[in-house]
Amino acid sequence: MTKRPQLIVPAVILGVIFLVIAIVYWTTDASSLPSFFPGHESGSTDIHHKHGLAAAVVALGCFVFAWFQGGEKPSASE
Amino acid sequence: MDPISYFQAIVLGLLQGISELFPISSLGHSVVLPRIFGWNIHQNDDYFLSFLVATHCATAIVLLFFFLKDWVQIVKGIGRSLRDRYIGQDDTYAKLGWLLVVGTIPAGLLGLLLEHPLRTLFASTQTAAIFLFVNGLLLFGAEALRRRAPVRSEQGMHSDEVIAGTLTFRSAIGIGAAQALALIPGLSRSGASMGGGLLAGLSNEEAARFAFLLATPIIGAAGLLKLPELLGHQGDHVRGQALVGAIAAGITAYFSVKFLLRFFETNRLTPFAVYCCVVGAVLSVAFALS
Repeated sequence: MTKRPQLIVPAVILGVIFLVIAIVYWTTDASSLPSFFPGHESGSTDIHHKHGLAAAVVALGCFVFAWFQGGEKPSASE
Repeated sequence: MDPISYFQAIVLGLLQGISELFPISSLGHSVVLPRIFGWNIHQNDDYFLSFLVATHCATAIVLLFFFLKDWVQIVKGIGRSLRDRYIGQDDTYAKLGWLLVVGTIPAGLLGLLLEHPLRTLFASTQTAAIFLFVNGLLLFGAEALRRRAPVRSEQGMHSDEVIAGTLTFRSAIGIGAAQALALIPGLSRSGASMGGGLLAGLSNEEAARFAFLLATPIIGAAGLLKLPELLGHQGDHVRGQALVGAIAAGITAYFSVKFLLRFFETNRLTPFAVYCCVVGAVLSVAFALS
């Protein structure tokens, strides 16, 4: 697996963004979500837990991806 | 009066355990069977969803224990790769573990976001019968297209090694996304993942093995996410039946996975494609006329 250290920072930034999105979904009802968010519904008091979980999974994926791009590259003999 | 009788729970549980793992769509069968028998059970009823949670959990537990040795190795492999921040070329279980993670994410995301709207949109028995027919066509298609894809079954190698050596992360994403087709009643999750495995170059046996490994976290997570519904007020009057149904589903799931792994050593998806096309066509016509 080729390591691309230049992708660490973008992956971490993307991960943080998705983590924030997850927290917004978990703490805000559907009518108060920004209108460009999937699940925005005026007048609704529902909280989109599943959308938040999906965003958290993507955030975790970004952090894991960043983790693998770092570290030392194993030598050819390993 | 209880919404589901114990007899119905046993029949639906037995059916769920089989159809969840056979590539014939469990959701499609759980939609059409009550109508065939004239049972007043609908797939969008809260109590029925709670009942299905229990059968899903049972199937996931059976799959977990059936492949327990593999899962122990897979978890160790993932841990090893995280520690080293590297997935070794010859580390079969680390590669297999991440293939499963990468394959689970698209199916999980699509499931979280689309499960409710798709279930509501395609709720009718007529639609489920039509999609059952379509599922048969997809299985035929996977078998036809895979003849052009090289099958890389290596003599003397463990199936997990062949899977890890053959599949790329891109193909795992594709197989994982294909599983989301099963959100539509009538289309099969295991059929989609087995078909995807065939197109990626796996043999029927290895494609089935990968499909079962991939199914475990998805079915388990779907069950766990909805477990509060079974334990909450939605599960009132149905918990006993759910337990009986789960036991029935667990028994048939165990024998199904055992049978299918042996079946696919020498056979293909074709018999299931024929079954889905015939049953789907007959039921589509019958439901349209009734």
